[in-house]
Amino acid sequence: MITERRVSGLLILSTLGGALFLAILPLPDALSAVRPALYPATVLFWVLVQPGRFGLLAAWTSGVLIDVIYGTPLGEHGLALAVAGYLVIRMRELLWSFPVWQQSVLLLPVFILYEFALFWIDGVTGAEVNQWWRWLPVATTVLVWPLWASLLERIAELEVG
Amino acid sequence: MRGLAEDDKSSLLGRRITPGLRIVAIVVISIILMMVDHASTSLKPIRSTLAVATQPIQMIAELPGEMVHYLGRYFDRGQLIADNEALEQKVLLLQARLQRLASLQAENERIRALLASASSLDQNVLIARILSVSPDPYRHYIKLNKGSTDGVFVGQALVDANGIMGQVTDVTPMGSRAILITDANHGIPVEINRTGLQTIAQGSGKSSELRLPFLANNSDIQVGDLLVTSGLGGRYPAGYPVAEVTSVVHQPGDEFLEVVATPTAHLNRGREVLLVWTDNTLDPVAEAQEGNSTDQAKDDANGDSPAP
Repeated sequence: MITERRVSGLLILSTLGGALFLAILPLPDALSAVRPALYPATVLFWVLVQPGRFGLLAAWTSGVLIDVIYGTPLGEHGLALAVAGYLVIRMRELLWSFPVWQQSVLLLPVFILYEFALFWIDGVTGAEVNQWWRWLPVATTVLVWPLWASLLERIAELEVG
Repeated sequence: MRGLAEDDKSSLLGRRITPGLRIVAIVVISIILMMVDHASTSLKPIRSTLAVATQPIQMIAELPGEMVHYLGRYFDRGQLIADNEALEQKVLLLQARLQRLASLQAENERIRALLASASSLDQNVLIARILSVSPDPYRHYIKLNKGSTDGVFVGQALVDANGIMGQVTDVTPMGSRAILITDANHGIPVEINRTGLQTIAQGSGKSSELRLPFLANNSDIQVGDLLVTSGLGGRYPAGYPVAEVTSVVHQPGDEFLEVVATPTAHLNRGREVLLVWTDNTLDPVAEAQEGNSTDQAKDDANGDSPAP
């Protein structure tokens, strides 16, 4: 874990940019429905390993950016990401003590909560999508978390040495 | 505050803020922001500004698809020739039809003049290219490459060669966003071409399905009926095909029919759309009043708002 060293803001921004690219890359409907939520995963990764540098406010701002791109009410993804980020901060000592593939299990409720917050707000604002496959990205995100987190970790280690 | 080093917490006016306090503040601010954004249009400028900032990454995300499209055309010469021949034939066919249209239009204008009708057949058209479809599979939006500098405004109707696609909802200087008629949040006033019966077609959230939830059991509607825009509500120009009825189910005991229709426009194919408007489609005041087309549609259907 690269929790002790400070990585540069540029690195964080570029990984977020990369994840955003993968998040909005046009895919066929069937693939799009199972597309892992790499962007929230990246945000939560930085909240986990660099809380002093990338905190709740940064997580919220990253979410608002998604709201602008998706056209959802401003603050919807922001709120969901900030709440998920808060959980990660509370659990971080626990998360730090496990290898990445076991972190997936601990992060499952976090990603479920994230998706549930979106589901809830969608329902309140009248854009309800109540289909079971809505929850598929939660599963795929948790499955790719070990790969994605180790990749980000490797990139960060390349920078800070 | 187990596990939080002191320097991790930021300070406000010399006091440490705990994550717990901060998350409460963020939640409250988010909820207020969402309520304001959902209820009014006052956050539109902020959204537009941020949208311009996110434009580059969206353009980059479109590149792979564009490349595949371009390379496919570049290498497949046979396909190009076939396309070209098909298009030439189509042009011939359409021109033949157009010859009759000119005289029909003239005749129609004369008759309308006799009726002292104010409505005009003149419509303005702008061609726009689809830049991207919604990355969220549950929201049916598309992004277009024409913005306010090209004269695009909120409420313009989108059509393709086969029918109505949707309407413009957000405009930035260099691009715009449009909602498709199949979005679950969209309703479009239609009439049944065969009988003239007025109703509302709502999006279902599925890419090839519209629902007509407000038809009484004894309504005269059949499978195969064509739905065209009625022009009520002032958003869509009248007379464009919208959908074809594919199933009419009457559940015993229900007051309304369950009618499903398939949009005639090719919503998930094609790269170009036409923006259509008449010069008197909307005046800015009316536009400001009806921010949300669905609300409008629902009000119309319930009959508790005055006819526009």
